Order: sequence, then C-alpha cells, then structure tokens
Amino acid sequence: MTRRRSLQVVAPLLAATALTLASGCKRPEMQRCVDEHDNVVADNLCQGPRQQRVEQRPDGHGGFIPFFIPLYRPYYGGMGGYGLGEHVYGGGYAPIPGRSYASPSVTRGGFGRSFSSRGSGE
Amino acid sequence: MQRISIAPRADWREKVEAVGLNFHSPADLLAEGATYWDESACYEFSGAEVDQLESAANEMQQMCLAAAQHVIDEKRYAELEIPDEAIEVIEWAWNDEPPAIYGRFDFMFDGSGPPKLLEYNADTPTSLMEAAVVQWNWLEEVYPQADQFNSIHDRLIAKWKDIAPYISKPLYFSSVEDVEDLLTVTYLRDTAEQAGIPTEQMLMEEIGWDDDQGRFVDPDEHIIFSMFKLYPWEAMLAEEFGPAALGTYRDMKWIEPIWKMLLSNKGILPILWELYPGHKNLLECYFDSPKSMTSYVKKPLLSREGNNISLVTPEGRTDLDGPYGGQRFVYQALAPQAKFTKPDGADRYPVLGLWMIDQECGGMGIRESAGPITDNLSSFIPHFFK
Repeated sequence: MTRRRSLQVVAPLLAATALTLASGCKRPEMQRCVDEHDNVVADNLCQGPRQQRVEQRPDGHGGFIPFFIPLYRPYYGGMGGYGLGEHVYGGGYAPIPGRSYASPSVTRGGFGRSFSSRGSGE
Repeated sequence: MQRISIAPRADWREKVEAVGLNFHSPADLLAEGATYWDESACYEFSGAEVDQLESAANEMQQMCLAAAQHVIDEKRYAELEIPDEAIEVIEWAWNDEPPAIYGRFDFMFDGSGPPKLLEYNADTPTSLMEAAVVQWNWLEEVYPQADQFNSIHDRLIAKWKDIAPYISKPLYFSSVEDVEDLLTVTYLRDTAEQAGIPTEQMLMEEIGWDDDQGRFVDPDEHIIFSMFKLYPWEAMLAEEFGPAALGTYRDMKWIEPIWKMLLSNKGILPILWELYPGHKNLLECYFDSPKSMTSYVKKPLLSREGNNISLVTPEGRTDLDGPYGGQRFVYQALAPQAKFTKPDGADRYPVLGLWMIDQECGGMGIRESAGPITDNLSSFIPHFFK
C-alpha cells in the first residue's frame, strides 16, 4: 500500500521569511529612470542626450528667465518599485558618495507587471 | 466521503499563523461569516476512495504527458494560442527534460462515481502549504489516530534532492508580492533548503536583465542560473523580458519548465477528450462551442481562480467576471455536482486538489465554496481517512 503519511513536517523558515522578504539589505540601491513627476519610465529615456523642456519663470524684475526642467533623469536610491509608472520617493537625482547603485546596464521591472496588483497563483 | 462538522481548535488562528498562514481570515470572507482556513468542518474518506483518487490523478498525469507529446508531434500550438516564438524553446525543453517539481489536478468527486478532471494547474498552483503542512498539523491534533492523504512535504524534499546535482546554486525563488504567492514560494524554498540546496528569494519585478552580460541577474547583480518562479509562462512571454527569457532559456534552469505551458492551458482538456473519448475521469470538452451539450462550463484558455467562467444549464446561466476575456474558450460538460449540506442547511461545493510531485500524486487539499464555481474566496477544508 502506498505510504500516505508525511514522516516529519518541519517548516522553520516560513513565518519569518514570508514577512521579511522584501526588505533586502546590503544590496546595491536602486537606480531608475524617472519623469518629471518622479514616476518610473523606461531606462532608455535616460540614455543619450538629456531631454528637457523650458519653462519661463518670473525673474522678480518684471521679466522672465528660462527654467530648464529635465523630462527624464536618473533617480538614485529611495523607495517604490521598478515597474513603469510606479512612483519613487526617498532618493535623489544625484548619487550619494560611498553608496553603491545598480549598474546602468541592468534593467529591472521586465517581469511582474501582469500581476502587479494580484497573485498569479491558482 | 462525508462532510463532518466539528468544533475548531480554540487557538487555531495562532497555530496556523505560527507556520506562516497569516491570511486565514480575509475581510471579504469574514463579511460572509467564513474564513479561508476553515476547520469548522472536515471531509472523511475511506481508504478505497483515496486509492481511487490517487489512481485517477496518476493516470491523468500519464495522459496529460501523452497529450503534450501529441500537441508537439502534431504542431497544435496555435489551438492553445502558444506564441510562435516560444515553440522552438518548448520543444527543446520537452526533449531536454529540465526539472519539474509540482502541479495540482482539480477533480470533482463526492464518493458516488469516478473522479472527474476539471483542470490541471501545472505551472503556478498555490494552496500548497495549506495542504502539506497546515492540514497535517491539524490532523495530528484533532484526529491523531486517522490518516491523511498527504506525503507532499516528504515528496517535495525528496524531489529537490533528486534534482540538486543538476541545478546551479543558489536556487532562486521568485513571485509577485502577494501573500498567497509569497507563502507558496517561501514554503517551496523551505523544502529545498531542507533538501540541502542553498536558496535566495526575490520578487519578479526585482529580476534584472544585464545587457552587457546578456543574462538575468539578482538584486546583487549576480547571474541567475537556476530559478523557481511562481509566475505563469504566458505572462512572462508577454512582458518586457519575455524575449530575453526565450533567448537565454538554454543557459539557465527555469522551474517549472516552459513546456508546462502546454498542460496549464485549458486547451489541453478538449485535446484529452479527443485522445481519450469517454474516459471515466474526463468530462466531455470542445474548443469554441458546446456542440450538443446543454449543461456546461465555458472557460478561457488561460484564467485563474474561476475568473471569466460561465456555468450554463437549461435552467439558467452564471457568469463570473474577471480580467481574462478576449481569449479562445473551451466548453466542458458540467460535472456531476459534488454538493454537501452544512448543519444550517447551506450547500457546500468541494473541489479536490490532487497534488502531483514530479510524476506521482502525493496528497490532497480541498477547497470548498458556497456556489458551484471555485474562486479565490473558497475556503480550505482539512481531511482525513480511515
């Protein structure tokens, strides 16, 4: 007769790992390409010549001065996801000396979008 | 097979949480006076019934493999809406026999006739830990003298040990950030660790593609050579990294392998019926039309948790909404409905999940619903047999 009983069910990792999975440490911080609203866009938009728009702002003396606003720029560190359109926060537009950031040749967020708001199991 | 109402353990919440099942009482189920983990009832089986279920699942596995071979031999990929660009890799993977770990057949059964196959969740099944661990712990406390159709845990560890020499370490585990998916992946990771395999875990969105190396990398930018992903292949292929996954498939081990696309697709059901017409464990099933059937279930080729399914009988029609419209459909005869009654008179509809570890059935988990379609609000009910 086929043995049906498990002999020993030991699952020591479960509770702790499931709850702390997303909080990685000692990893390179994220480097993402964002738009002017700090939403993630495709990495290639941050490569090549910088794209920017010009906004005329009052100079306080009755005239205007051009204000150059980058449309897309790298965003170093912080929180938020890699998925396109996700909002980032807590980082900055310049790297902080002494910290390591993900390589520019590495892109992320290319998997996971279809199930970003629900599970993919069945 | 009978449904037995019993008193839940007083501290059941703490006990299931202790092994990681912290979504036992989702708000939408609580609103209906129900819980996801429900030990206010259980199902009792006879040994003969368990034999019958085990035998049916093992036979279905062999038939499904034969059906996959048939799809490959006859190039029936288009009928399953498999993308052309994936075919070469699927055929390579099928012949190369990369590691496959698990799957879950869903059967309709009430003890009065042969089990009827509803579908095969061959790529991304969940509710694994509930079946392998939580209901086992329940059995040991509540029915210590009884048995349970459940050697899932042991079989998983044994399978990982079998394939350990063939995979690079660490073995990565990945899913989206959903509690049910995370728990399933974390549990599988646990069994791999217990088999002596070093592991790492990450989210699907954290997988990186390194253009310079032409390889997938982890968050530390180390190359990924082996990965278990709880994420459907059809979604992976449709996403940005899909071409890279196909292009590098031969250079890394993906678990489950890509050929599971053939079996997790509901198009395998009409093909099974075509190859084995009238088989006692199959339901009549066709592509695109119910033909002469008057009671049937209409299912998209790819859907999850009962989404976009329609149940049609001469008396009426029930439709479940969802995000999986716009696909080809299969039409499967309505199975003889397994229905049990609670003490308060309410009907309960169980579906039996038969877990395949590698090629053998290793246990059972039961999901139970208030209606005839199993969805993501179905409860998990433990079982035993004598």
